[in-house]
Amino acid sequence: MTKYSDLEYLRLSKGDKFLYRLKCFFSGIPLFFKNLILAIASAFKKLGLAVAHEAADLVNTFKNGSVPTRVSYAVMGFGSFCRGQWLRGLLFLLMEIIFIGYMILAGGYWLGMLPSLGLQGPEQVATTVTSLRGGTNTVYTTVYHDNSFRILLYGVLTLFFIVAFIYTWRVNIRQNKINDQIIRSGKKIKSAGDDMRSLVDNSFHKTLLALPLTGILIFTVMPIIFMILVAFTNYDGTHNGFSNNLFHWMGLNNFNEMLNWSSGATSYAATFGEVLVWTLIWAFFATFTNYFLGMLVAMAINKKGIHFKKGWRTILVLTIAIPQFISLLYVSKMFARSGIVNNFLMDMGWIDQAHLIKFWEDPTLARITVIIINIWIGIPYLMLITTGILMNIPADLYESAKIDGASAWQQYTKITLPYMLFVMGPYLLTSFTGNMNNFNVIYLLTGGAPTNNASSAPGTVGYTDLLITWLFKITQGAESKYYLASVVGILVFVVVAVISLVVYNLLPSIKNEEDFQ
Amino acid sequence: MSEKDFAVPQKRHMGLKASKIISNTSIHILLAVISVIWLIPFVCILLQSFRVESTYQVGYVIPKQWGFDNYANLLKTDFPRWYLNTLIVALCAAVFQTFIVLCMSYALSRFRFKMRKPLMRFMLILGMFPGMLTMIILYRVLADLGMTQANAVPGLILVYIASSGMGYYVSKGFFDTIPKSLDEAARVDGATRLQVLFKIILPLSKPIVIYTILTAFMGPWGDYVFAQYVSFGTSAGKNVAVGMYGWLTNDQINKFYTSFCAGGVMVALPVTVLFMFLQKYYVEGVTGGAVKG
Amino acid sequence: MKKLVALVLSLMMVLSVCSFASAEGVNIDVTIWVAEEIKDLTAAQIEEFNATNPYGITFNATIEAVSEADAATNMITDVEAGADIFCFAQDQFARLVQAGAVAKLSDESAAWVKENNAAGVVAAATSGEALFAYPLTADNGYFMYYDKSVIPEEDIDSMEAIIADCEAAGKFFSFEMESSAWYLASFFFATGCVSEWVTDDDGQFIEVYDTFNSPQGLIAVKGMQKLVQSSSHNSSSKGAEFASNSAVVVTGTWDYVTVQDILGDNMGVADLPSFEVDGVSYHLGSFNGCKLMGVKPQVDSVKAEALELLAEYLTGYDCQMQRFDARAWGPSNLAAQASEAVQANPGLAALLAQSPYSLPQGQIHGSWWDIAKVIGDDVKDATDEAGLQLALDNYQEKIAALFTLSDDVKFGWTIIGTCNSTDGFFYTDYNGETRSNWGEDLPMEKVSVDTWKSAQAWDIEAGAEFKVRQGLSWDNAFPGDNFKVEEAGYYYIVFNETTGEVSLEAAE
Repeated sequence: MTKYSDLEYLRLSKGDKFLYRLKCFFSGIPLFFKNLILAIASAFKKLGLAVAHEAADLVNTFKNGSVPTRVSYAVMGFGSFCRGQWLRGLLFLLMEIIFIGYMILAGGYWLGMLPSLGLQGPEQVATTVTSLRGGTNTVYTTVYHDNSFRILLYGVLTLFFIVAFIYTWRVNIRQNKINDQIIRSGKKIKSAGDDMRSLVDNSFHKTLLALPLTGILIFTVMPIIFMILVAFTNYDGTHNGFSNNLFHWMGLNNFNEMLNWSSGATSYAATFGEVLVWTLIWAFFATFTNYFLGMLVAMAINKKGIHFKKGWRTILVLTIAIPQFISLLYVSKMFARSGIVNNFLMDMGWIDQAHLIKFWEDPTLARITVIIINIWIGIPYLMLITTGILMNIPADLYESAKIDGASAWQQYTKITLPYMLFVMGPYLLTSFTGNMNNFNVIYLLTGGAPTNNASSAPGTVGYTDLLITWLFKITQGAESKYYLASVVGILVFVVVAVISLVVYNLLPSIKNEEDFQ
Repeated sequence: MSEKDFAVPQKRHMGLKASKIISNTSIHILLAVISVIWLIPFVCILLQSFRVESTYQVGYVIPKQWGFDNYANLLKTDFPRWYLNTLIVALCAAVFQTFIVLCMSYALSRFRFKMRKPLMRFMLILGMFPGMLTMIILYRVLADLGMTQANAVPGLILVYIASSGMGYYVSKGFFDTIPKSLDEAARVDGATRLQVLFKIILPLSKPIVIYTILTAFMGPWGDYVFAQYVSFGTSAGKNVAVGMYGWLTNDQINKFYTSFCAGGVMVALPVTVLFMFLQKYYVEGVTGGAVKG
Repeated sequence: MKKLVALVLSLMMVLSVCSFASAEGVNIDVTIWVAEEIKDLTAAQIEEFNATNPYGITFNATIEAVSEADAATNMITDVEAGADIFCFAQDQFARLVQAGAVAKLSDESAAWVKENNAAGVVAAATSGEALFAYPLTADNGYFMYYDKSVIPEEDIDSMEAIIADCEAAGKFFSFEMESSAWYLASFFFATGCVSEWVTDDDGQFIEVYDTFNSPQGLIAVKGMQKLVQSSSHNSSSKGAEFASNSAVVVTGTWDYVTVQDILGDNMGVADLPSFEVDGVSYHLGSFNGCKLMGVKPQVDSVKAEALELLAEYLTGYDCQMQRFDARAWGPSNLAAQASEAVQANPGLAALLAQSPYSLPQGQIHGSWWDIAKVIGDDVKDATDEAGLQLALDNYQEKIAALFTLSDDVKFGWTIIGTCNSTDGFFYTDYNGETRSNWGEDLPMEKVSVDTWKSAQAWDIEAGAEFKVRQGLSWDNAFPGDNFKVEEAGYYYIVFNETTGEVSLEAAE
C-alpha cells in the first residue's frame, strides 16, 4: 500500500483518513507479529544474558567479598548486622528463617504433590462398633487424604514464595557487594535511620506501593494463575479434589473440548461463537446508547434557562445510589408476563390478554429489553461524567462558531462531538470492555433467559447470556465444570485483549500521559 | 457541580426570545418525562413497602391498606444484623480502600521508577481477566484463614480492599492534573515526599478523595455474588443483599415480598442521602480523573 | 510428608475420642440447616431430644435457616464448612452423593428408615444398594388450585374446559411449562411415558430408561400444545399469581396458605384435569417427591452414629407430626401418614386424589432438568406435528449425548486382578484392606485423550496378575493374556485406549 506523508494525509477527506488508518492498521498486523516474535526472541536472549551476568556477579562478589559478605551467602543479613544495618539484617534473617521453616513444615509437601495433584482421594471406611443403641452396628466414616484443590493452591503459593526468597537472597548479596565497595572507598554506610528516612522521602513510592501490590499479588495475581491452571485439569463437580475424587492434569484436552467444531451447530464452539457475537453486540449498544443519550441529557440539563438543574440531576442519580440487586430485580419483575408493565398496557386497552408483550420470553425482544433497561442504568453515570467535560470545552470556540453562523447542529458535530470523542476515547474503550463483562445487569435482569434450546453446552446458555454470565452458570450447573469455565475465562481474556489492542491503535490519538501534567 | 451555565448554541434567525421559550419548554417537558420514567421503579418499591393487606406479589401498585408493618417486620428478622454487617464492611472498605487507592495512584502519578510502566501495563492486562472464577479460590483462601460463614465480615473487608489497588486509574488521572511544580517548590523548601503528599497534594484532592470513598462504599453495599459465596449457611455473616435475596426464593417470597421492598428502601436510603450531598465532588472527581488517564 | 499429615490426622482423632470419653455422657457440637419456617421448631425438638434421649448424648446445636434449594449447592461448595445435618429436595440427592457430601447410613439406621417409610421415599434416598439420607416429607408434588368464581365445578376435570373458561374471563391458567421440567413432565406421565435413571453406590448414573420420544410422547406434546399456545397460559407456579389475574395455578401444598389468603371462600383444590387428544382422554400426571435430611460424612464413628440418632429422631413420627401441626408439612413416616389429622388435611387430600396419577420421583440426572425444560418452549413454537416431533428428537439427542459424555461406567476402564497376600497387590496403605481378587473392579481415571491411569498407586507384588477392562464387561479387556507383574514395587497402572497397551508407572 502507498504511504502518505503527513501533509498528504492532512489533505485527505475524513472518510479516506479513516480508511487509511484502518488499512495501515491491518497491513501492520503481519509486521506486528513479526515484531512480537522478534521481541520475544530478544527478550529470551536478554534473559539468558541477564542470568549469565547475575551468575558471574554472584561468583565475583563471593571471590572478592569480605568475610561478612561471604557468610551472607548462607546466613542472610549477616553482612548487614556486621555493618550496623540492624534493620535490614533483621529483615533478611527473618525471611530466611521463615522460608526454611515453611519449606520443612509444609512447603515441601505442597511442592512435591504439585505434579500429581494428590495420590489418594478420600476413602469410605466401614467400622463395626459397639452401638450407642446397644448391640453392634456397622458405621461408615470417611478418611480424607490428599486434597487436589489445596495442593494446587498452596503449591502455587509456595512457588511464589520461592521466587520471593530467591529475589531477597539476591538483594541481600547485592547489598553486601555495595557495602564492600563503599567501605573500600572509605565512605559512610547508610544506617538504619537513613533507611527509614529514605522510605518516606526518595524511596517513598516503595512504602506507598508495598501494601497495595502485596494485596494485588495475593488476591488478584495468584487467583488468576490458579484459574488458568484449572483450565488444564479436570476439576469439576465429580472431581472436586477433596470430598470425592482427586483431579489431575489434563494437558490441552479442555481446550480441545471447548473449541472442537466436529459436532457442528451443537458443539461448544458454536455456542461460544453465538454468545461471543451477542456479547459484542451488547457491549457495542450498551456503550454507545449510553454515551450519546447521556451526553444529550447532560446538555439538556446544562442548557441556559433550564430550571431545577440540581433536581433533575438528583433524580437521575438515584439509579446509581440504589443498589442494583434491588432496582434490577424489581425492574425484571415489572416486565414479566404478568408484571406491572403488561398489566398497565392492558388496563389502558392497548393490548389484550392474547397479545401480552413477552419481554423476557422472545429472544430478540429480551435482548432489546436488556439494552433499553441498561440505558436506564447507564445514562446517569454518563450524564455526570459528560457534564464536567462539556463545561471544559472552551466557550470561545462556540462564540466564534456563532459569529461564523454555524447552526446548533453544526456546532454539535463540529465542536462538541469531536472534542468529547477525543477526550473520552479511552473511557469508551474501557467502558466497552467493562460492558462485555457486565455481570450484574444480565444476571439480575434475566439470568440469561430465554434458554437457547439448540445448544448442548453446559450451563443452559440463554439468548441474553454474556460470556461472563455463561461462565458463571457453568460453575453453578448440575455438573459444575470448573475446568470448562476456566477455558471460557481464558478465551474472554483473549477476546478483550485483542479488542483493546485493535481499538487502541485506531484511536484518534494515543495520548502521552505527560501532556496532562 | 457549580451552577455555571453551559453555553448551548442557539438558532439566530428565529425571533430569539420566542425560540428560546419554545426550546426551553420542550426540554423541560422532556426532562420531566425522563424523570418520571426514572422514578417509576423506585416509587413502586416505596409504595409496595407500605402495603399491609398482603405480603406476596400483586398486580397493582397502590396499596389498599397503608402502614409501617413491613418496616416493623424487618426488626423481627435478621435484617438489622445484615444491615450492620453491610455497614461495617462498607465503612471499613471505604476507609482502607481509599487509603490504598491513594497510595497507589500517588506513587504512580508522581514517581518515575524503573518498573513503573511495566507495572501499569501488567495491571491493565490483569484487569482483562474475568474475575468471576477467582471467587472459588478466594473463598478457599478465606476459609483457610477462618474468615467465612459467621466470620465473613472481616473476610469480605479483606477481599474488597486487597485488590483495590487495581482501581488506581481515576485518581491517578486526577493527581496528574495537579501541577508538578507545586511539589517541586515544596521539595526545594526541604519537604520530604511524605510531607508533600499530606501538606500539598491531599488538600487539593478533596473531590477525588470523596469520589473514592463514595465508590468504595457503594461497591460492598450492594455486592451479592461474592458475599453470597463466602457467607452461605449462616445468617450472622450475611450482608443485606444476600439476606434479602433469600426472601425471593420460592418458599419465602409469599411471606417476605413486601419486606423485601421495605428492606430495599432502607438499603437505598443512606446511599441516596450521601449522593445528594456529595454529588458535586463525585462529578469533579470523575471528570478530573476518569477521562485523563 | 504424607506420613506427617497422616500422623496429625490420627492424633486429632485420638484427641477427639479422648474428649468424648472424658465427658459425662457424650457432648456434641452440631450445625443444622433447616428451612426458615421450621427453624424455631427444630430448636425446640432438639431441646426435647437432649432432655429425653436414652443414649446420654447432649447436642449443642447451632441451627441456621438455609433453604432446601440452597443447601446442596452450599454443601458441595465446601463440605468442610457445611452443616452436620441438612435438609434438601430430593432432586439434589445424586449430586450430593457424587460430591461425597452425604454420609452412607449405618446398617442399623438404614434398617430403621426402610421400616418406617414408604417404598417411594426410601428409593429417593437410595443410590445403588445403599441409603444416604432420611426422608423428611413426602408432599413434594403438585395439584391444581382454582378460583371457584371463574371455573365452575363441572369443568375442573377437563383441561380444555378450563382453558375455555379462562380465555372467556380474560384470566390466566398458570402452569409452569417454559422453565421447569418438574411441571412439564406432567403431560408425559399422563400418556404413560417415563424417564427412569439408575445410580450406583457413588451416585453416578449408569443407566436410563426414557420413553419421552415415542408415539405416546407425541400425544403428550399435542396436549401440551393446547395449553401453551392458549392466550390464557401463564408459565408460573406461584400461588401469588391469583393476585395477578390468574384463575388456575398448578402448585403444591406450600402455597396453600397464600392462595387461601387471596381467594378466601373462592378457593378450590382438585387433582389435575384431563386433556383430550384424538378423542382419548388422558389424566395429567405428576411427580411425587420428597424432602430429605442428610448427615455430613464424619471422620469419627462416635459422632457419626450420634448424628444418625439425631436424624432418626428429627425424621421420626413425633417430629414429623409436630411439623405437620405447625406448618402442614406432609409426613413421610408411615404411621404419621396414617393418622387421622393428616388424612383430613385438604391440601394433602388433593395430593392424595392426584396420587393415582403420580410417579415417585426417583434419582434423576441433574442435567435432565435443564434438558427437559426446554420442551415447553419448543412445543409452543411448533406449528405442525413435525415441529413437535423435532422437539422430542432434540430432547432425545441431548439425553443420549449426556450419557455418552458422562457415563463413566459404560466407557470407563477399570482394573481387575489377583490378590496374593495381605501386603500384596491392591493392598491400600491406609487401612490394610484387600481390595480385589478378580471380584471387585478398581477405578481408573482418564488422564489424557487416550490414556487412563489407576485412581491410586499400590504396593504390587511380583507375580500379581490383572486385566484392564471396559464397561465392567469382558468384551473389551486388555491385555489378552493377563498382565503379569515382574518386579514388586509401588505402581500406578496405566492403560492406553488406542493401542490397548497396559503398563506400570512407578510412583514416588
